[in-house]
Amino acid sequence: MFCRDAVKLVAELNQTEDIKPFNEAVFRQVLEEVQSLFEENSKDVNTITEDNTAPKNTLLVRHYAMNRNKRCLLTYLFHRMRRLRQARWELGSIIPPEISKNLIKPEAQWFHNYNKSLATYMRTIGEDGLNILNDIQPPKSLYIEVRCIQDYGRLEFDGQSVMLKKNTYHLLPRSECESLIRQGYLEHVSS
Amino acid sequence: MEPSEVEFLGEKKMVSIVPHFSSGIIHLISGPVGPFRANLPVKVPIWLALNLKQQQKCRILAQDWMDTENLNELIEKEKGEKLFTEMPSDHFMDEAQMLLTAGADDIPDVDNIRTAVKDIWDLRNAKLRSSVIAFVKNQGSTYAKLDHLTAMEINSIRSLLPETLNVMLQIEESGKSSTSTESQQFSSTLDTTHSQNQS
Amino acid sequence: MDVSNDSNGLDNSAFENGGLNDAEAEFESDEEELTSDKALQVLESAWLNEKFAPELLPHQQLLVECMVQQIKHMEENVQRLTKGDIRINIHTMEICRIRFIISSYLRKRLDKIEEFAVHLLKEDARRSPDEKYMTTAEAQFARDYLTNIEKLFETVALQHMPQRCANFDLDAISMEPNLKKHVFARANKDIPTILISGVHEMEVSFAKGSQHIIQYSAIAHLVKDGSVQLI
Repeated sequence: MFCRDAVKLVAELNQTEDIKPFNEAVFRQVLEEVQSLFEENSKDVNTITEDNTAPKNTLLVRHYAMNRNKRCLLTYLFHRMRRLRQARWELGSIIPPEISKNLIKPEAQWFHNYNKSLATYMRTIGEDGLNILNDIQPPKSLYIEVRCIQDYGRLEFDGQSVMLKKNTYHLLPRSECESLIRQGYLEHVSS
Repeated sequence: MEPSEVEFLGEKKMVSIVPHFSSGIIHLISGPVGPFRANLPVKVPIWLALNLKQQQKCRILAQDWMDTENLNELIEKEKGEKLFTEMPSDHFMDEAQMLLTAGADDIPDVDNIRTAVKDIWDLRNAKLRSSVIAFVKNQGSTYAKLDHLTAMEINSIRSLLPETLNVMLQIEESGKSSTSTESQQFSSTLDTTHSQNQS
Repeated sequence: MDVSNDSNGLDNSAFENGGLNDAEAEFESDEEELTSDKALQVLESAWLNEKFAPELLPHQQLLVECMVQQIKHMEENVQRLTKGDIRINIHTMEICRIRFIISSYLRKRLDKIEEFAVHLLKEDARRSPDEKYMTTAEAQFARDYLTNIEKLFETVALQHMPQRCANFDLDAISMEPNLKKHVFARANKDIPTILISGVHEMEVSFAKGSQHIIQYSAIAHLVKDGSVQLI
């Protein structure tokens, strides 16, 4: 059946919100199907004559199948790109290894370019630029109590420095914590 | 909107505090506050009150309406009326929540006030639920007036009601026009991988 | 409008150098004077409107620039205070609050710009320079976003397809906002007639301060001219 592999790719997106390893095998199979549909059509297009228009329907079906394959491939790419974009907003400009290992080169390149255009944009805000991805939560108090849930190392801020070791508790400026919380190093201890 | 963002807006409301320090007028970007004289009440935005309280630099005073007698009257009024009654603040719930928590040791009768506030919230919540259901069932229109609903109440129906009305409108309009939308473009594939998957 | 520094900056007397005149951001001259607290209010309503409107609203670049500058000057002033001054905390907290509003506002805009990039670029191309909805930087961001998608599609998929089906039109990923979405709104003034079109055609009126749930399309123009606030 036409497009079975293509639908597999799209279905894969629905299985999880994560960015899974790029499914190169299936992706390539779909590209090959497009190629062979195209070749068959090129071959059959000459067999249509005024008396025999029957191949026309075959050509049409193949044509639709090609388009559907293409749509699915681009849908797959598009949604992976959107997830990567989400990761940029939530986790910062460095992709964590558990995501980057699942990307193909052009996707990593996309991430790089996106980062660059985001940075260019943010530099234009005010005189010195403003990182608009910093203040995600409304500020409650300047300091919050956090628990370290994963070894991080030394954190320096405002001329102070603190060692973030697993299972230690700290009272830290909210602005310093936000991204570390999102990256899973710290968790907010609500009082 | 996150409840924390509703609170953020509620934190702009003013509250009286008794500062433990003295200072001249402080010129904030949002306007001047103070002057502060130790032991003399002064009005400040709630966010500032909470901040000073966290540093133990002030005592928080109850809002005028934070009084059990007054709140019990509100409860009776709310029970007696079919429509929503006007609350003393459009951030009634979050304001109460923030001030009663931070000012628990400053505000007299705090437990009873908390109970009364909770009763009002429950009463109004039940009212809200039944009026939303009645509104959606009515089907005559997708417009409604929402007077006296507080910010937190509006936010509590935000995730459900507008979307319900969007869908209702869509169904009704497609029934009216009955034009097929079969020829959806690639963009809809991007938007709805779910239907792709099931097809 | 001019931004006056009346209620801006720290208490002058506390500093050897007040430095407050720098904080005066010159807006295009307009009749009315905009104090920093007023500017903040306007920014806050712009933030909420942007948060809840299904479409991208006209940008408020001057306002954003003004507030970013206010923050900057306040930060500089705070640095001049001696350690332990009670005002340090208070001003820092306020700066955080304002930075949150600005960031959240601009994030929401970028969100919509990505979603409706093709549509927005087309619409803005039709508008005169001072009526464009996107700032220059936002429009550049939109174009970059689309270019990067095209590049990704091309490298991974399209160039491996037979030439005749390897074309790709950005219109295919062009989404338009659904203006019929329902929103919550509060009237900033009396509005005698608002027409709701469509299957439930009707006319309603908003009294000042009243709250409603209504199709965005019926009040879009009122949101843009400030008569109605989305909540």
